[in-house]
Amino acid sequence: MTPLERAEARFGWKLVAPTIAILGLLILYPLMYNVYLSFFDVQLNGSKTFVGIENYIKLLSNSDYYSAIATTSLYLLGTVVGTTLLGLAMALLLRDPFMGRGLVNAAIMLPYVAPVISVVFGWQFLFDPISGVVNYLFVDLLGLWSERSNLIGDPDSALWVVVLFDIWKHAPIAYLLILSKLVSISRDQYEAAAIDGYGPIGRFFHVTLPELYFVLATVVLLRLIWNLNRFEDVYLLAPNVETLPIFTYYQAFTGVIDQGLAAATSVIQLGVLSIFIWFYIKKIMKW
Amino acid sequence: MAAIKLKNIVKSFGDTAVVKGIDLSIEDGEFVVLVGPSGCGKSTTLRMIAGLEQATSGDIVIGERVVNDIEPQHRNIAMVFQNYALYPHKSVRENIIFALRRLKVDNADIERRLAEVSEMLQLEELLDRKPADLSGGQRQRVAMGRAIIREADLFLFDEPLSNLDSKLRSHMRTEIGKIHNKFGRTSVYVTHDQVEAMTLADKVVVLHDGYIAQAGTPMEVYLNPANVFVAQFIGSPSMNIIEGTLFNDYLLVDNYRLPRKQLSNVALQTVIDQQGIPVKVGIRPDFFNDSRLFPETDNTFNFTGLQIDLIEPMGFDKEVLFNLAGEAVKARLDLRSELQRDQQIDLVVELSRVLLFDSETDQRL
Ligand SMILES: Nc1ncnc2c1ncn2[C@@H]1O[C@H](COP(=O)(O)OP(=O)(O)O)[C@@H](O)[C@H]1O
Ligand SMILES: [Mg+2]
Repeated sequence: MTPLERAEARFGWKLVAPTIAILGLLILYPLMYNVYLSFFDVQLNGSKTFVGIENYIKLLSNSDYYSAIATTSLYLLGTVVGTTLLGLAMALLLRDPFMGRGLVNAAIMLPYVAPVISVVFGWQFLFDPISGVVNYLFVDLLGLWSERSNLIGDPDSALWVVVLFDIWKHAPIAYLLILSKLVSISRDQYEAAAIDGYGPIGRFFHVTLPELYFVLATVVLLRLIWNLNRFEDVYLLAPNVETLPIFTYYQAFTGVIDQGLAAATSVIQLGVLSIFIWFYIKKIMKW
Repeated sequence: MAAIKLKNIVKSFGDTAVVKGIDLSIEDGEFVVLVGPSGCGKSTTLRMIAGLEQATSGDIVIGERVVNDIEPQHRNIAMVFQNYALYPHKSVRENIIFALRRLKVDNADIERRLAEVSEMLQLEELLDRKPADLSGGQRQRVAMGRAIIREADLFLFDEPLSNLDSKLRSHMRTEIGKIHNKFGRTSVYVTHDQVEAMTLADKVVVLHDGYIAQAGTPMEVYLNPANVFVAQFIGSPSMNIIEGTLFNDYLLVDNYRLPRKQLSNVALQTVIDQQGIPVKVGIRPDFFNDSRLFPETDNTFNFTGLQIDLIEPMGFDKEVLFNLAGEAVKARLDLRSELQRDQQIDLVVELSRVLLFDSETDQRL
């Protein structure tokens, strides 16, 4: 480091120090407390008994836990791939300036900025077995399905409704991130590739995609982190889809309330997530 | 390889015409330099040949094909961009062989050609680096390598040397000349630098405001410029343009009378009436000589008693400024002339080197 860089680094630390302190208190404390709780049997009145790793054993021998992991994996796969591809497709399509682009952008952003609770009810209405548009379309109009079905009522199909909902709601943010990078790619790389004999498809793979690599990796990472912990969308739209956060919630606050067990679930989840993100940042994003 | 024809090419961006009707024939293997001041439409013309820009009207023919509606990737051309336009994510090696990969050239052949090109351009050490880790001159060489590794019909250069320092620029200029001599490909080279134009070109095309002001060999445009613009654009220092009056028997410049009969490079031979006609007289600084070193002959004219205003020594030559007919006029004399400011000097000029231009239209007379 040059002396100038050292001075800059010192100044940088001074600037972020208060933030680090506050974040440390706000995040680290509950986090540690959660780890602490996971080793106790917690009663409703607050009394705790140390049980060692019993919570973890109980969890790992619970088949519902594994089915929650499977559901979460499918949910993540569907939503991450879906939002990224849809965002990319929209960004490529709307890349060149045209009349009314601002208006189109505003319309695209709408699902992202609308409150979850209001759009969830809209979606439930769409999928309603009696009066919903979806059933009307596929059964009455197109005749693709032989009978009306309650897509949200059945946990298997509800998972895909939830995935679809998430793609619809979060593709706009992927679109925005990808578009902002896309418009900054200089034209002369495309021109050079055209001169080198590459048509639109070759140019997409050799110019656009390498330029988008980092932003796509960022979108995927953000989507993974958000959706691994996604609660409200899933719970409000289809509470029967048991992803990990919802499984944890049921453990902690319903039926036989077991906060220790719930704490153990989130500790494992945090551990896996941390390893995963570390690996991703090192290997995929090459930071 | 291919010959190229531009037939009445016009290019407008919106309402602004940038290229205003260009006709040009380029022979197979010829090195043509488009030269002109910034903004005159050189790049636009080149980009239309490349297919990166669509002509508003007119035809472009490469080889046997009218290429108006053919995409750049199907024109089989190689191009060096002004800012090089390297692929930042690819190594130098991948940048250079990118076009060969598309052409499905087999690996042994790719390696052979890569070795040849990287030796010629001294890129061997750099092949595994990324463009970001190269200096400007190295990037320029990679861009050159990417173009010459192809066996393209046509080579296009858009001011390839303008981002280099002057030493590197003259070195690379020589290299480009050598490469062209070696491969003999049809080349179109855009520059605003008349030195590059003079040294590299088989044919110089001087562009001015979207038109061709003149096309010809370097010596033609230097010795016989078609108009004042070309006369002043080509050659450094620039040609002196002095107001004068042409009478039937002589040319009057300031108080000097130059015999008309001996102005052998003036086409105008008509009888001129009493008042004479106003003309612009063009004399290159290089064509003035110190009369002490170059004695007067039948075909020279001696401008006697010129008052020296300024002397700029350049090493081998010196540029001398004096006043003629109210204009600051420059002469380039060699180092043997010993001069001082405010001294008087006699300068001789060969009359065949004196050019006349119409004072209204600026065209050669
Ligand atoms: N894409 C474009 N849109 C509008 N004007 C342009 C465009 N490209 C070039 N021009 C204009 O055309 C003129 C000629 O440009 P160019 O061919 O690049 O000049 P040169 O290469 O001779 O310096 C300039 O005035 C420039 O501003
Ligand atoms: Mg240009």
